[in-house]
Amino acid sequence: MITTAALLMGVTLIAASLLRPKKPSKAKLETYECGMETVGDTWVQFRVQYYVLALVFVVFDIEAVLLFPIAVAFNALSWFAVLNVVIFILILLAALVYAWRKGALEWE
Amino acid sequence: MTLQLILFFVFSLVVLGAALFVVTSRNLFRSALMLVLSFFGVAGLYVLLDAGLFAVAQILIYIGAISILIIFAVMLTRGMQGMEPRNSQYVGAAVVAALVFAGMLFILGPFRVTFDPQSVPLLNLIFRNATPREVGAVAWPYALEQAGALRVVPETYIADFGRALVDINQYLLPFLLIALMVDVALAGAVHIARQRRPQEMIEDRQELEAEIASEQAAIEALQRSAAPALPDTAVAAGNEH
Amino acid sequence: MSFITDLLNIIGNFIHGIIQSIFGFSPFLVDAITMGLAAVILCTFAAVSFMGLTYVERKLVARIQDRVGPNQAGPVGLLQPIADGIKMFTKEDTTPAAADRWVYNLAPLVIAVFALTTYAVLPFAPGIVGTNLNIGAFYVLAIGSGSIIAIIMAGWGSNNKYALLGAFRTVAQLVGYEVPMLLNVLPVIMLAGSMSLIDIIDHQTLANGGTGIPNIVLLPFCALVFLISGIAETARSPFDLLEAESEIVAGFHVEYSGMKFALFFLGEYVNALAVAFMFTVLFLGGYAGPILPPYVWMLLKAAAVFTVFMWLRGTLPRIRVDQMHNMNWKFLVPASIVNLILVMILLKLFPSDAALAQANGGILVTPAVQAGILFASNLVVMLGALAIAARRARGARLAEEEMLAARRAENMAAAKA
Repeated sequence: MITTAALLMGVTLIAASLLRPKKPSKAKLETYECGMETVGDTWVQFRVQYYVLALVFVVFDIEAVLLFPIAVAFNALSWFAVLNVVIFILILLAALVYAWRKGALEWE
Repeated sequence: MTLQLILFFVFSLVVLGAALFVVTSRNLFRSALMLVLSFFGVAGLYVLLDAGLFAVAQILIYIGAISILIIFAVMLTRGMQGMEPRNSQYVGAAVVAALVFAGMLFILGPFRVTFDPQSVPLLNLIFRNATPREVGAVAWPYALEQAGALRVVPETYIADFGRALVDINQYLLPFLLIALMVDVALAGAVHIARQRRPQEMIEDRQELEAEIASEQAAIEALQRSAAPALPDTAVAAGNEH
Repeated sequence: MSFITDLLNIIGNFIHGIIQSIFGFSPFLVDAITMGLAAVILCTFAAVSFMGLTYVERKLVARIQDRVGPNQAGPVGLLQPIADGIKMFTKEDTTPAAADRWVYNLAPLVIAVFALTTYAVLPFAPGIVGTNLNIGAFYVLAIGSGSIIAIIMAGWGSNNKYALLGAFRTVAQLVGYEVPMLLNVLPVIMLAGSMSLIDIIDHQTLANGGTGIPNIVLLPFCALVFLISGIAETARSPFDLLEAESEIVAGFHVEYSGMKFALFFLGEYVNALAVAFMFTVLFLGGYAGPILPPYVWMLLKAAAVFTVFMWLRGTLPRIRVDQMHNMNWKFLVPASIVNLILVMILLKLFPSDAALAQANGGILVTPAVQAGILFASNLVVMLGALAIAARRARGARLAEEEMLAARRAENMAAAKA
């Protein structure tokens, strides 16, 4: 099952690494540092909004992963089960609304 | 030496090797990336267990979301290079880790122990009606396979899992508890990371200044008490601290 | 006639037979070699279509912008992709001196590999699929999500503040738009009862008790949001604020050149084509269609979807970053959740299968009526969400105008005094 995917990966790896060394090197420009100057460490002012966004994504990711098998088994579920799934989704919607009201979703 | 066994060893090596690299590396970012590799190895192990759903879920959640979260959290700390892999508690930690490993070997191994709560002096007050339990004697899949007694994962395991998640006799309670727990985590993070209103920023600054002032007062008190009027002993005491 | 329809099958069987008979390997090895060949063919297909797509895109966008596009290399510029390829090969591979070797070199490889791995489960014809995973749809979404790590690797490995910042912003965008994508594939899976892509296509044809109606008719809102999220996931225009030359200087791949940059580029286009294929499989009925052979239908539909992508690129202006995040978290995600709940309730209220109606109650309807009900509910959700958004936007605009008018009045009063 995964073997084909792994083989695909393998083929790409081999192909790409074979293609890559074909760079005619203008050796004099070897240490040319293109791009901006990096003054100091590579530590940018990391805004905490990135972290909160990633956390909200983790929450919805977990929700989606739990909902996928339920969706597969959906046709055979009873009303009670569907009610529970709706409650599950509403709990997470409440979390989103809380984050929204508290301004966690502002300004990227 | 079937292909499955070879793949099992390969994936296990990947998981363990990457995990070893994670805890011993001096570069925090490379540790995070090796953690990602370890997650890939775990996904491979899931595939070997015929549980494709969990392998893909592992990739989606752990590699797609949680490792990004970890890398972001790592970026919030400074000093990503030159981290010291050992701190002053590593001896105690090694002892505890060895004990835990021995315990797990014991429980998950072929030994069998019968544990009777009634016979332990304090426990028999709590567990009055408990019957003796057996712990251990876990038959590992390889042994079961050799004996031809391995249970096959049914074709419909995804639908079964879906049904079990909402079945009140099975996993409904953990299912709803997951939602609540994850909600609480999100609410906590949002609260901690929220934008401070101006009044709160003033209060934060006042708190910080009060802390600094109290620390300075403590240092001065220490210097004064350690140094009786002579100036050179004051300097020596000051240098000691 | 059936020769053309089954062309791919015939070729596949032929090659399989050759390998089996000539070399006399064990069946396992024969299977492995065949799968390896299939993998090579899929990769080649993706790479060749990448070359063709860059050309078509440039031509189409040029025509939309009232210019001609590449017409120097070969007749009508047809050899342009080859010229581009030669350029990419022979460009010098400048590596920044302080870059983290392993991470820097590995990042484009990881992106390209992940992008190509999604092709392993796409069905091009009833029997032609790399591997029919019973979790096909889930697999594609997970692989797309897994490639996000490579962007952070690229940004960090360049040891460049701007690359790192660009990488964070790109990751924030990709991660955000993953959520509506996941939430809107769920109704499709609920209808089909399986995550396998071939089962989803079968549900949309008349085979195996399917409905014969493509899902875009049943779930237009889901299709639309999936399309939007797909465009945002591959960071194409109008969501390409991170590779815009006026912004953070080409984003996270600013320190890459030559073949490695080409791999990033390839990853982007291959991802976009994979999203187009997924859209046709999930919502347009995949390879189903009369008269023409199935693989032709599949390619035609995917090409139509990709044309829509290119059309949007040439037409819409770039979105601002806060507009993009607001639209995602405050519009798409709540609307998708409401839509999901509505679809679940309606599917249980109006089942189309007699046995299920007996077991769970609800009104038995024919598949066509169920389709109509779902279509109506989707329209309601879409229009309702748009109405709410419009009302809020109007309220915000009115409030701002009031504030501006008040400030102007103040200034006038202050000037008079």
